[in-house]
Amino acid sequence: MTDSILSVQGVTKRFPGVVANDAVSLEIRRGEIHCLLGENGAGKTTLADILYGVYRPDEGTVILKGRNLELHTPHDAIKAGIGMVHQHFELVPPMSVVENVVIGTSASQWLDLTEVRKRLGKFFDNYDVRIDPDAEVGRLSVGEQQWVEIFKTLYFGVEVLILDEPTAVLTPQGVEELFRILRRMRDEGLTIVLITHKLKEVMELSDRVTVLRLGKVVGTVNTVDVEIDDLARMMVGREVLFQFKRRRSAPEDPILEVEDIHIESVTGRGSLKGLSITVRSGEVVGLAGVSGNGQNALFDALVGVDKPAGGSIRIDGVDTVPLSPNRISRLGVASVPADRIAQGLMMDFNVTENLVLGRHRSSRFSYAGLLRRKAIDAFAEESIAGFDIRTPSASQPTRTLSGGNLQKVIMARELSGRPRLLVAHQPTRGLDISASEYVRRRLLEERDRGAAVLLISEDLDEIFQLSDRIAVIFDGRIVTTTTPAQADLESIGLSMAGAAT
Amino acid sequence: MDEFFTGAVFLGILLATLRIATPLLLAALGELVCESSGVLNLSLEGTMTMGAFTGFYIANETGNLFLGLVAAAVGGMFLALIMALMTVTVKVNQVVAGLALNILGLGLAFFWYRSVYEAEGSVAIPTVETLSTPWLTYLAFFMVPVVWIFLYRTKYGLELRSVGHNPEACDMRGVGIVSRQYVAVLFGGMMAGLAGSFLSLGSTGLFFPDIISGRGWIALAIVIFGNWRATWVLVGSLLFGFLEATQLSLQASDVELPYQLLLALPFVLTIVALVFNQSRSSAPISLTVPYHRGER
Amino acid sequence: MNGEVMNGEVMPDEGRPPPGPMEEPLRSDGPSKSFRTGAWRVEKRLVVRPRHEFAALAAALVVAILIVAGLVNALGKSPTASFAALYDGAFGSRESALETLVQATPLILTGLAAAVAFRAGVWNIGAEGQFFAGIMGTWFVYDQWGSLWPPLLFVLMFVAAAIGGTLWAMIAGGLLVRYRTNVILSTVMLNFVILYVLSYLLGGPWQAPNTFYYQTARMVDSAFLPRFLTGSRLHWGFAIAIVAAAVVYWLIRRTTLGYEIRALGINSVAARYKGIRVGTVTLLTMAISGALAGIAGAVELLGIHHRVQVEIAEGIGFTGIIIALVARLHPLGVIVAAIAFGALVNGSTAMQYQTGIPKALVLVIEGTTLALVLIASVASRYRVRRVKSHG
Repeated sequence: MTDSILSVQGVTKRFPGVVANDAVSLEIRRGEIHCLLGENGAGKTTLADILYGVYRPDEGTVILKGRNLELHTPHDAIKAGIGMVHQHFELVPPMSVVENVVIGTSASQWLDLTEVRKRLGKFFDNYDVRIDPDAEVGRLSVGEQQWVEIFKTLYFGVEVLILDEPTAVLTPQGVEELFRILRRMRDEGLTIVLITHKLKEVMELSDRVTVLRLGKVVGTVNTVDVEIDDLARMMVGREVLFQFKRRRSAPEDPILEVEDIHIESVTGRGSLKGLSITVRSGEVVGLAGVSGNGQNALFDALVGVDKPAGGSIRIDGVDTVPLSPNRISRLGVASVPADRIAQGLMMDFNVTENLVLGRHRSSRFSYAGLLRRKAIDAFAEESIAGFDIRTPSASQPTRTLSGGNLQKVIMARELSGRPRLLVAHQPTRGLDISASEYVRRRLLEERDRGAAVLLISEDLDEIFQLSDRIAVIFDGRIVTTTTPAQADLESIGLSMAGAAT
Repeated sequence: MDEFFTGAVFLGILLATLRIATPLLLAALGELVCESSGVLNLSLEGTMTMGAFTGFYIANETGNLFLGLVAAAVGGMFLALIMALMTVTVKVNQVVAGLALNILGLGLAFFWYRSVYEAEGSVAIPTVETLSTPWLTYLAFFMVPVVWIFLYRTKYGLELRSVGHNPEACDMRGVGIVSRQYVAVLFGGMMAGLAGSFLSLGSTGLFFPDIISGRGWIALAIVIFGNWRATWVLVGSLLFGFLEATQLSLQASDVELPYQLLLALPFVLTIVALVFNQSRSSAPISLTVPYHRGER
Repeated sequence: MNGEVMNGEVMPDEGRPPPGPMEEPLRSDGPSKSFRTGAWRVEKRLVVRPRHEFAALAAALVVAILIVAGLVNALGKSPTASFAALYDGAFGSRESALETLVQATPLILTGLAAAVAFRAGVWNIGAEGQFFAGIMGTWFVYDQWGSLWPPLLFVLMFVAAAIGGTLWAMIAGGLLVRYRTNVILSTVMLNFVILYVLSYLLGGPWQAPNTFYYQTARMVDSAFLPRFLTGSRLHWGFAIAIVAAAVVYWLIRRTTLGYEIRALGINSVAARYKGIRVGTVTLLTMAISGALAGIAGAVELLGIHHRVQVEIAEGIGFTGIIIALVARLHPLGVIVAAIAFGALVNGSTAMQYQTGIPKALVLVIEGTTLALVLIASVASRYRVRRVKSHG
């Protein structure tokens, strides 16, 4: 149990404006289940991607079985004996399970799948995984696809298997099964590195845990030696919690009323299964949850690009389900999307043009189908000054702005109409501290103005700082509703993991 | 109408069906392989013209029809090589690159033809003997199982299709994306070149600038209609061939119908087929999406 | 804004990759993205400025000229003499220069038709067919109401041309919006269909009396588009084309619809999220594109040919596509590119006459130029930089 198979020594990886891994060192022992625990943005996935050859470290070394590893591609890592299953699967959906497994192997050119099928079938039988090797991968459930990913990796004979948040896509029963099989694989000699931010899983499964925070290693401990609270403290490590001065919220009439909506997502992941939530004027409702539990579907339904199959959404009493996104926004719904580049901005527009996107047909900015250039330019200057958007000029291509300034463009645009309801989805994701703080302050100002604010976030700090009420979403439903005063991080974290009491 | 369906007429239609389907099938099979790797080559019309001409030219110069066929394949591959350079290596938008190469293919063939034969107006148009045995028709039908086996029964074909669906997954497993896409595009060019040569060497023995007259585009539609499957591409080609053959024989009979409307029929049918054949289930997922390593 | 905010901390410099949207740094544009070749490094530019594009464009044109020169040389002709003849035919005299503008006139309009559609990301390859639809609309009005007061007749003919082009384009547009039918293939197919429809009409109802040719009778002189000057075929259609370019420029830059067209072409997902009606804008784009191509048909018919024949088009629709792409979809750039391509068409006749090089060289030049311009436009997004120490 004590010999080290994989050793990370002083690995540093920088990205523009952020140090994702800061002198990270850790030892993985042969035949153990080792958890990498940390909040979102702690640098877990970056570290795993370095082990898997996706990134090369700026400093430091990775040693596998005493040999210095020089990985250029994931293929190098696989050949060296390290496999990884990403959250984003590397599968070819229209092909069968066997076919997916055989891609890139040294099987003969004359495709004879019987041998692969036999070996794979044995694998599956051995671990009691019931998947038809000839089934089309795209038709399998997400959980089954994950099994295919795992076995595809094992087929190459890897010795170290890295799993990135493997339970995010699983039902509680699926998690049970996964853990049972992972334990067995460990007992048979496989080394498993599991990336997670779910404390319960760490406690249940791992032999040892390395906690990461803000790109640094907080420490490595034996799981049996610690309690769940200790790990929570190590992970969150809150010395100073930035506090906003805020007025007591005085929530008034409900503005957003969502009742029992259902949306079936194509992949089966992230469906809404009867979600209800109310947001009143003058309050921030923080919707906490692990991504993939229906947040995207909820966002799409609220802005109107997706329509629920059942249930109702009302804004100030008006049913928005039959309305177009444009009509909904004219009811006073503003939105900050999670993927600001894909869903919120025209990167090839200039800043001015982006500042009126969606409102370009309003009477303020157009008249009889013509853009009011003066009004638009004046508004752009005003927004750039008012939101402190750092750009040399309003006619600068949006592409050249930094992430924080991109978000300010969206905020300026969305808040300019004095919305009744503001839906902010991961509004500070990827932003630096000052930009995040700015965005959060703006959200609170909107609340104080009397808007209803729905904050969808995976960042619990943010949820606790800003929310007047907290709702936890899990598997397409609200599982807990509480207030920051009544709740603590650990209990919210447990509900997010589907372990609500 | 009774005499229309006599045995002789029917046999005539059957033979015409095979003849008309040949170039469509050749080009569509090539395009099928090309698109399976994720590269949409819209330049079939130009490539076929190129093949029709180079084949004709070499056959005329050497008097050897076999060399003509080789030249047609080479002519098609020449344009395909430019296509691969533009889209796989430089990563130019595939649609636009295809349009550019269409024009280049047509242009090179016309220009060369006019330069060599100066056949403007009254100058005698050269002809070559046509293939006495329909080798290209045999080849076209022979290629259906060959393409099918290649795509579905070899590891290389499996990987080539995987590249068309999810290049990133292939890259992670060390499957060479660039080489597979080049192979696929070049194969498509070769087949389109041969398809073009069928029209000059296999049926008319002539070359004239609009010899292809839309068959390249119809071949593209057949790939969509055939839902990116070799067997259905065969069905689609035969169907178009049959309709066109029926149309021709209607034209020859004394049925009172404007022949132009019959000529327009294949194109109308192509649109109808595209509208009604909505199953895109087998379309390569990453078709037209260039792969940049390290981008998701 | 003023210059005060423009300090180093604020603006990323050109070499810096664009910021990623995700929490985990984006792989796409991290520094590792650049690939090394020896001591040189190829990097993606953050901002592609007009000077980069112009440099790339110029390089593309030079290479295109060299390739074509090589081809001419291979024929055993002198490239310089050929190019001189080409130039002479296009711009050598007042008459030839004016004739170049005549050739450019319909190309400007079909170039605009393609540019508008491509701006919205709608691949309308059917300008050729919509051009014929415009001609048919024009002739229909002339045939029915030819004796009307000429100014009114002109208005009606142009309106009919626009409607004809629009209707033909809307078939493909409608199928795209309703059934997601591949618009490239549907527009190409419709090009062929309308050609046969026209051929039928020219051999039947519309055929001029006492002829076997597939053509209509000649129009009466009062239905001709007036010419500017004696001794040149340059007609008012050129002015119409220039005005159309200005209108399209204005439409794209100044109207809400133009804004939405551009938005759709840049990011249709975000457009949908921000309430732009994607289907409606797609249809309107096709309508405008078709109308422009249809007007091109009217202009050619009324300005030059004065009778309907299948030979009117001569690839005007397809050349419009090349023009739009070479002009990078800019309406005013379309004018420049159309004049250049008009010069090629015009000059090639003189070149063929003087040097015996076939006119078809024009197509080779067009194809080569477009291919190289496309490569250059991708290349202009990169730069090669010397890396100091490690390789």
